[in-house]
Amino acid sequence: MSELPRWEVFKQDGPGKVHQAVGSVHAGDGQHALFTARSVFARRPAAVSLWVARADHIFALTKQELDAGKGLSEGNGGTFYIFGKKTNRRSMTLGDHLGTLEASNPQAALEAARTQYGDDLLVWWLVPDSALVRSTDSAETVESWFAPAKDKTYKQQSSYGVVGQHASAHKKAVRGGDHD
Amino acid sequence: MTQIQNASASAPVLAALPVETPEQLEAFEARIAAGEKIEPGDWMPAEYRRQLIRMISQHAHSEVVGMLPEGEWIRFAPSLKRKLILMAKVQDEAGHGQYLYHAAETLGATREEMVDALLSGKAKYSSIFNYPTHSWADVGMIGWLVDGAAIKNQTMLAGCSYGPYSRAMVRICSEETFHHKQGKEMIVLYAQGTPKQREMAQDALNRWWWPSLMMLGPHDADSPNSGVLSRWGVKLKSNDEVRQEYMNEHVPELLEAGLTIPDSDLHQDEQGNWRHGAIDWTEFWAVVKGERGLNKERLGARQQAHTDGAWVRDALDAYAVRESGATRA
Repeated sequence: MSELPRWEVFKQDGPGKVHQAVGSVHAGDGQHALFTARSVFARRPAAVSLWVARADHIFALTKQELDAGKGLSEGNGGTFYIFGKKTNRRSMTLGDHLGTLEASNPQAALEAARTQYGDDLLVWWLVPDSALVRSTDSAETVESWFAPAKDKTYKQQSSYGVVGQHASAHKKAVRGGDHD
Repeated sequence: MTQIQNASASAPVLAALPVETPEQLEAFEARIAAGEKIEPGDWMPAEYRRQLIRMISQHAHSEVVGMLPEGEWIRFAPSLKRKLILMAKVQDEAGHGQYLYHAAETLGATREEMVDALLSGKAKYSSIFNYPTHSWADVGMIGWLVDGAAIKNQTMLAGCSYGPYSRAMVRICSEETFHHKQGKEMIVLYAQGTPKQREMAQDALNRWWWPSLMMLGPHDADSPNSGVLSRWGVKLKSNDEVRQEYMNEHVPELLEAGLTIPDSDLHQDEQGNWRHGAIDWTEFWAVVKGERGLNKERLGARQQAHTDGAWVRDALDAYAVRESGATRA
């Protein structure tokens, strides 16, 4: 068989935060991609929403390509979700969702985005609204999709903080016979 | 620039090598020197792409095979708490493999050819996972030593010049710290536990100490791929430098836990660095080549899992065919 299409994943860590590009999964359709994305990218707390879009439906351009005069390929107009990489600082995400705009085609959307969000971004991603599949925002779904991971505090390194501070501090703390 | 992209988009990996000019290379190296990250779409030397695909896919395979030595112990966990922790850790390793395959895919490698290379035995993975796990204490010792060594290496790689690899490493390190700490906690408790528990912890240390030193790679003088990788900002420290960091953190903590490190030449030098005795590299290479250790068993387990999962892939294929048919009709 040939492999399933690749979907880019956008994760929102909490209410009021923006979606961020975290990586990709392979899946047969949008729902499958969302389920897989939850297993791969939401094993820890801090998630309330996931979006996915097929990688080959995203319009992407780096600053280097832009400086060399490269433009985006042709495509339909509509609503575009704009993601951008702002710095070279260490990060586990490519970039943030900067905003959403309407344009008559991808190139026009890029030009509008450059005007609106600054011209010094290092990577641009334009995701057509029609390409996005989203997890449901209802409280029930958020609870059933994301709360279980939140309660599993043993996945957090902070659960073992005392060991990290000093082995001898830990020895004192556990003297008394807790040997599992 | 266009040539590179065409080459990577139309062929599996580098079928046609693009022409590279000294100016392109100079500009590329200047970007790396300035601390910029190279992103998919940017110009890069074909050799940079080739080395990264090799390195990242091997790293991904190591995460995937890394589930096996500890996964065997989930059903023997001594408490529900420890079982939950180990299940979460093994799930994390699966996820780490996914992050890394993703990073390699941004360079033009396909998931399918990488998985095939692992299953056929063509690709390598870290030989540390070809050592057997003998007791429950090995689970703790792997977390403390093997994950501890991996974190040192991966923290360095988190600063590497290729954006997608760097991001995967930052995400992995933040999760891996949990693996390290749960292992350390378990061993510290065992080391002050019953005589039997102390014996298990010491036995695990005796077997994992040297492999954990060797997993950080050959000495700098014998490391064939390091030159170009350090020149282009992928490896920011040498194998021996990372090994020294690992020693300096772990030796005092193991000693404080009351354990004995199985190296009669172990000592601290004038600079305060902990120095190990001579490493038996013949064992390392024998395990790498599969002459010793569980290479056959590990690959067999992966192949079996792949075969057992065939019905899932078939079902997904059938669903995709039905859906596309429905769309056409």
